[in-house]
Amino acid sequence: MCAWFPMWSLTRPDAPSDEPVLIVDDRVTGATPDVLAAGVSLGMPRREAEALAPFATVLTRDPGEETLRFEPVMTAVEEVVPRVEMVAPGLLFVPVAGAVRFYGGEGPLAARVVEVLGRLTGGLRGGEALVGVADGPFAARWAAATARVGEPMMVTDTLSFLSALDLSTLREAMGGEEMIDTFRWLGITTLGDLARLPRDTLANRFGAPGALAHRLASGEDRQIAPREIPADLTVSMEFEEPLESLDAVAFASRVLAERLTRGLRTVGVAPHTVTITVRSAGGASRERVWRSADPFTERGLTDRVWWQLRAWVEASGVPGGIATLSIRPDDLSGEGRQLGLLSDESSFVETERALARAQALVGPDRVLQGRAQGGRMPGERVIWLRWGEGHTPARRDPGAPWPGSTPAPSPALVPPRLEPIQVEWEGGMPSRVRIGTRWEPVLTWSGPWRLTGRWWEGEGDADRYQIVTSVGAFLCVVGSEGAYLAGVYD
Amino acid sequence: MGIDDVMTRPLLEQYGLEEGILTLQPGRIVEMVGDPGTGLTRLGLRLLADHSQMAPVVAIDTRGWISPEAAWETGVIPERLIVVRCPDPILWPRVAAALLEGVRALYVEVPARVRDQDIRRLAALARARRAAVAMRSMGNGLPGGVAHLRLRAIGVTWEGADRGHGRLKRRRLVMEASGKGVAGIPRIVEVEDEGTDVVRLVSDVVVDQARRAVG
Repeated sequence: MCAWFPMWSLTRPDAPSDEPVLIVDDRVTGATPDVLAAGVSLGMPRREAEALAPFATVLTRDPGEETLRFEPVMTAVEEVVPRVEMVAPGLLFVPVAGAVRFYGGEGPLAARVVEVLGRLTGGLRGGEALVGVADGPFAARWAAATARVGEPMMVTDTLSFLSALDLSTLREAMGGEEMIDTFRWLGITTLGDLARLPRDTLANRFGAPGALAHRLASGEDRQIAPREIPADLTVSMEFEEPLESLDAVAFASRVLAERLTRGLRTVGVAPHTVTITVRSAGGASRERVWRSADPFTERGLTDRVWWQLRAWVEASGVPGGIATLSIRPDDLSGEGRQLGLLSDESSFVETERALARAQALVGPDRVLQGRAQGGRMPGERVIWLRWGEGHTPARRDPGAPWPGSTPAPSPALVPPRLEPIQVEWEGGMPSRVRIGTRWEPVLTWSGPWRLTGRWWEGEGDADRYQIVTSVGAFLCVVGSEGAYLAGVYD
Repeated sequence: MGIDDVMTRPLLEQYGLEEGILTLQPGRIVEMVGDPGTGLTRLGLRLLADHSQMAPVVAIDTRGWISPEAAWETGVIPERLIVVRCPDPILWPRVAAALLEGVRALYVEVPARVRDQDIRRLAALARARRAAVAMRSMGNGLPGGVAHLRLRAIGVTWEGADRGHGRLKRRRLVMEASGKGVAGIPRIVEVEDEGTDVVRLVSDVVVDQARRAVG
């Protein structure tokens, strides 16, 4: 069974209650109905959403805070069914096999959960819960997505339910944007179409992701750890002085999560589920299970342990402070551990941390990744994306011929916009260029290469020159209004 | 012995033979000195190419002008190059320190007004974290003792363009290498760049020939 609060981010107390609100991290995680009416949807890139709803108050998501507010929900569901697994604040799974017998069927159990959740969060903005029951987490997740508030979606025939779903449902479980696009191009639009294909063929064409997509489409949820794993990989820490301050808890959570990941790395596995347990100084014990569709990375694990401990400590759930902390990995899998021959995973994790710190200092608009796109000038051939914001398709196809484009080698320095430059001409040929405060004689040049502007947008024609001086070479654009610097071959 | 008589080899093959000249080594700083246009940005980005096979690499850009296209041409894996723009000399040391903590290889532009003690502190951090760094000062150069190897551009020659005909095809950059990286004995090296990921190093070029006319 899955319970999903699609707009859980909106429950934050600092969100103005009578104004349109948009909650974002890199993508949209919550939006009020008036913002959704403007065309914004969950999961949409932040910039796109901000452009569609400029009237909305934009708040940055705080997963730690959300976990803290979600804690009472977890506790309430745990009173109905003991083992509850959290994927993220707002999304939980409940294995119902044992509880079904106790409550006399899936229907009464789901109705009970809906009732409990409705009583607890029904009055909150963003507190509407969708509940779905199906075989396996993937199907249950999408059963919840198609449910209505207060009416659980009971899927009795999981296979036929899945077969009607759109291919985009695979995106959340496994990514694979390009693979999904390829399927669509081949005329495969639903999971049913995909399940009808031979699995061997998909595995041959797309590798492990293809086989995984077929398994999900066929109602077979992920396969766990088909190999032998050392028995106990649990890591724990005991504290002589119980931890009460958040700083100490943050440090402990990071150290323990790192220790667990290091231990798992030596046996080449990663967990899909972790159980976080704390024992308070008074002897009380608390436990929480976190689940992830992909194997937990070190960063993902550290974040979740920290969110959970913070939620417990701030909600006074650990009286007297934390005396013992342990993390037990479950559902171990070799997926996602396969690295390239030369790749070094710890470097990736450390680089991500370093970039996140740099991003906090300079802002998200100054930590960037370039992607190739089509164009004739060096400045047009790169599209800049914020680091960590995922892939945005290029507006101009870089694989197209682009006749007349400036040839390689490309200038290593390209001004964000054309910079005026002074060039002296003799008989139509460049003779001197002013660089800084001094004039440099032109030693040789190539060009002019004609650049025809888009007349319908008021652009004029211009000529390009590669000008070589004794201090280097420059790419210049010369139009009716003068000469401009378009790149430095530095 | 002229330039054309010297046997040229791909950069990687030179490693070891050339005592690591033009190779970014962990925990060591290569200082690059020269005006814009001499080709040092492209060379600095080229030094990240081998490291990008293993992990993401970073370029710190103080002017907002660095183009990743040149880096991709020299063999840096596109999705592993991240450009951090930081024009503010006050903020710059903190940003550089944050990146040196975790990034394996960096090409770093140093703004003009950064204090020497900040640069020395960053150099110590780079050594401690075993980060491979190419630094290019936008001001008066790095303080003494920071760089393991100093590369100063002394001449650049382009081939391919001829008074309107052709196009720029090949650059020859002549540099003076000094510092501990060359055992304290300054040497003149010449780097050839054909606009692909092949950069050739031609060493032991006599000074008179290296400084011949450009253009």
